[in-house]
Amino acid sequence: MDTRITLSKRFHYAVIALMLFGAAVIAYGFIAHPERAWANLLLNNYYFLSLAIGASFFLALQHISQSGWSSMFKRVPEAMMAYIPYAGIIMLLLYFGMHSLYHWTHEDAIAHDELIQHKSPYLNIPFFFIRLVLFFIAWTVMTRLLRKASLDEDKNGGMLYFEKSELLSKIHIFLLAVTFSFATFDWIMSIDVHWFSTIFSLKNFVAAFYHGTAVMVLIVIILHQKGYYPSLNKSHLLDFSRYMFMLCIVWGYFTFAQFMLIWYANIPEETAYFYERWHSGFKVIFYVNFAINWFLPFTLMLSQVTNKNIHVVKALAIVLIAGQYIDLYEQIFPTILHAPVFGLMEIGFFAGFAGLFVFIFGKALASANLVPKNHPYLEESLHHHLH
Amino acid sequence: MNKTRIVGVFDEENSLMAAVNEVKKEGIEINEIYTPYPMHEVIEAMGKKTRFTTAAFLYGFFGASGVLAFLYYTSVIDWPINYGGKPTNAFPSFIVVTIILTILTVTIASLFTFSARAAIFPGKVYDQPDERSTDDKFVIVFDKPGVEGNVEKLNAILKEKGALEVYEKELNLKK
Repeated sequence: MDTRITLSKRFHYAVIALMLFGAAVIAYGFIAHPERAWANLLLNNYYFLSLAIGASFFLALQHISQSGWSSMFKRVPEAMMAYIPYAGIIMLLLYFGMHSLYHWTHEDAIAHDELIQHKSPYLNIPFFFIRLVLFFIAWTVMTRLLRKASLDEDKNGGMLYFEKSELLSKIHIFLLAVTFSFATFDWIMSIDVHWFSTIFSLKNFVAAFYHGTAVMVLIVIILHQKGYYPSLNKSHLLDFSRYMFMLCIVWGYFTFAQFMLIWYANIPEETAYFYERWHSGFKVIFYVNFAINWFLPFTLMLSQVTNKNIHVVKALAIVLIAGQYIDLYEQIFPTILHAPVFGLMEIGFFAGFAGLFVFIFGKALASANLVPKNHPYLEESLHHHLH
Repeated sequence: MNKTRIVGVFDEENSLMAAVNEVKKEGIEINEIYTPYPMHEVIEAMGKKTRFTTAAFLYGFFGASGVLAFLYYTSVIDWPINYGGKPTNAFPSFIVVTIILTILTVTIASLFTFSARAAIFPGKVYDQPDERSTDDKFVIVFDKPGVEGNVEKLNAILKEKGALEVYEKELNLKK
């Protein structure tokens, strides 16, 4: 079981091509349409950060619940987490785009808007970046420690690292609950500075967990089809599908709860958010969001037959990649750009970031054994069988 | 039907399944198996297929449509009232009620389906093969007339696979 993944030449060419294409479009974007470019930068960086965060939460959950079935796949979420420090560096670039993205940084808005004045002790540029740095330090440190415990387990074996991982995961989950909430408030909710929603962070956290899991499942399936993970069986697939099914319901619940309460109360301060998202051509996205992220997975995953079909699960995971993009597009674009735009720039930005993410992920995955060696539940995972 | 039965009591899932597989290999027909929790393996081993999930899905589907139709009828067709300027067909606010009532419909309808299929109703006197079958024991029941000639062998298999007890008893079961 001493297998390491080898990154083929084709993989390298593809990833570099994606990144070059992305870099070209990003350079063009910042020259031609800086505002749109900043919105894209925030969206895409947050997108891949959320996948990494979701994967880290999945991993932590496996440690805390002492799950046996998933232990042979744990290197995949571990490798996905490797993107977090890079996301931090790119997030720091927002310093130059604050004016384009956040209305609360405008001098005249601070001078005349009482609400922004009221929020300014929290929402000001120095504190914004202090928080940003703290969040990324916390996440980077915790994910590095989790990864290190896992690699040490390969080397030394024993129960020590199993227990250590569980403790670290508990700390990680606690930190994540606090930091990721504020992170979503800062980066995304503050785009609509007059608006607030208390369920916002939960909704975005679940979205990160949901789509992070979907991408992880997709990667596992692709690796399986490439010949790695030969012991992936229907029981693993069923468990993965159940995760996605459960998260699709929770996602639908939170997203709908946020919308329904605002719709029902009908208070102008709150409905302004959905007013922007229902007019000027964004209404389609509102419905497509629910259709792709809730209705489709919910109806598709009801039956065990589809849950155990590797092609259906793979196709669904691919659709959910678009799902998270649409969800974030609906949250970020309307207030900044006021009209739905989608073109070469959006595709280029996504391609560039996807290339970067896959590159970092691939390097991290190749740097350790694909199947952990001394995990106490490894045998259970290899012969996982559901009743 | 009132017959003499052979009852085997097991402590563990694994020993029960070992006995079931062995007995099946010998071609002995199993009448009934009682387990403390649902086991798909047992259903498969007895050559049965549950259609319960399909039934539950249909209850859910018709429950949800029925509730939505009811809400639409009451608040749009029969008695339209203007609540705070909202459209009478206030679809988003129907959803919560629909979810709750769908769950209720599925639960109650499934309960009745199960009771009907298992022929259980309040006040029914049920012949328990073994009192511990409602606790933590796995109980397997055979018809004695059905295994005529194989009784010795059956007893030996059950004992060998780790049955706590094997005994004969007059039982009035469904078949």
